[in-house]
Amino acid sequence: MNANQSSWSRTAADIFAVLARWLLGAVFLYMGLNKALHPVEFLKMVRQYDLVQSSLLLNSIAAALPWFEIFCGLLLLAGVAVRGTAVMLIVMLVPFTVLVFRRALAIQSAQAIPFCAIKFDCGCGTGEVFICRKLLENFFFILFSVWLVAGYGRKLCVRHSLLSCTAKTSLTEDGGSQISPNLPRL
Amino acid sequence: MDNLVAAADWRRAGVGRGIRVKNNLIQPAASERLTAVKRVFREAFFVAVIGAAFAFGANMVSPRGLALTRNYFPAGINRPVSAARDVANTNVPASSPAQLLAVRLKKQGLQWVDGRQAAQLFHDPRFRQGSIAFIDARDEQHYGEGHIPGACEFDPYHPEKYFATALPVCRAAEQIVVYCNGGDCDDSESAAITLRDVGIANQKLFVYTGGITEWTTNGLPVEIGGRNSGNLRSTNK
Repeated sequence: MNANQSSWSRTAADIFAVLARWLLGAVFLYMGLNKALHPVEFLKMVRQYDLVQSSLLLNSIAAALPWFEIFCGLLLLAGVAVRGTAVMLIVMLVPFTVLVFRRALAIQSAQAIPFCAIKFDCGCGTGEVFICRKLLENFFFILFSVWLVAGYGRKLCVRHSLLSCTAKTSLTEDGGSQISPNLPRL
Repeated sequence: MDNLVAAADWRRAGVGRGIRVKNNLIQPAASERLTAVKRVFREAFFVAVIGAAFAFGANMVSPRGLALTRNYFPAGINRPVSAARDVANTNVPASSPAQLLAVRLKKQGLQWVDGRQAAQLFHDPRFRQGSIAFIDARDEQHYGEGHIPGACEFDPYHPEKYFATALPVCRAAEQIVVYCNGGDCDDSESAAITLRDVGIANQKLFVYTGGITEWTTNGLPVEIGGRNSGNLRSTNK
């Protein structure tokens, strides 16, 4: 009975992780395409954050970021280099969330309105959003990404790990062996 | 024996969680865990490098791609509000958005007009004769949705597309009113500076600070579609 339950929960976790991977991939693809189709609008958005003082750097961020998101989205949807891609997602999401939070605080102090009533276009590619919803959304995206880095979501992958050439054989928990192209979870 | 060989492969690959081999639990050693973590970061590095190459390549071939070396904000790379505040803090005491904007335009050596002056210029007979020109510094979509009747389109982010039509109009005019959305929008400044850079006399250029937002709020007409399409829409309050 316990074995059945454990097997069922593993299957459920696997299915959920694959769905999370596809969701992340689709969201990044959609947001990246929205920005890549309107690069000037995105350039103005990036400028709003006062991140850099050099036009070359500003242009580079605005030019490359949308396509990089598209690239990551495609990798996640196809299931290629999932863990590495998820790390890159975290690298993008965490600083961006901090920036959005800081900007929201600035707007709050300027307009003196409740924090969750703040609505602005953060440059995410989805237009104007309420800040609390955006922060919550990003929190879940970061959570999903961490989950993928931990090794979940490897079902239905074209090549889960780019660098797995030695792990051809893995073991089942009851002592049997099976062929698996994937690396173990962290 | 097979299991032992498999276990060795497993360990070489970098074991994460413990696995059971013939009732003996092999716990992942710290060094193996570290190897697995390193592998993930190596993979992330590959994704970053290949992704960056893909991203810059895609931007280069995209017809909408950005030119990396171009300065899209000749009025300054800082966003309008903070830039104006910086200037105001160091030079003159200014607090309202209108004052901040005035300070910013002054710094750029640009003149400006308010809503009343813009309306006067619009109703001036010289506007019909071409001695007064209105320049819309917004993008194509917004221009098509409604602009000041007779205004010429000039998106400062794609100036090369509009030089052919906008420059003759500007050269013929004695006064040129450049506008965008108003408020925080500084595209009109960018357009005015771009026009100045290509030889339009600075004393002819005026930035309409209220922009199309103030224009429509004041109930003045807008033209839909192309320039002089005749498709006017009243924006009466």
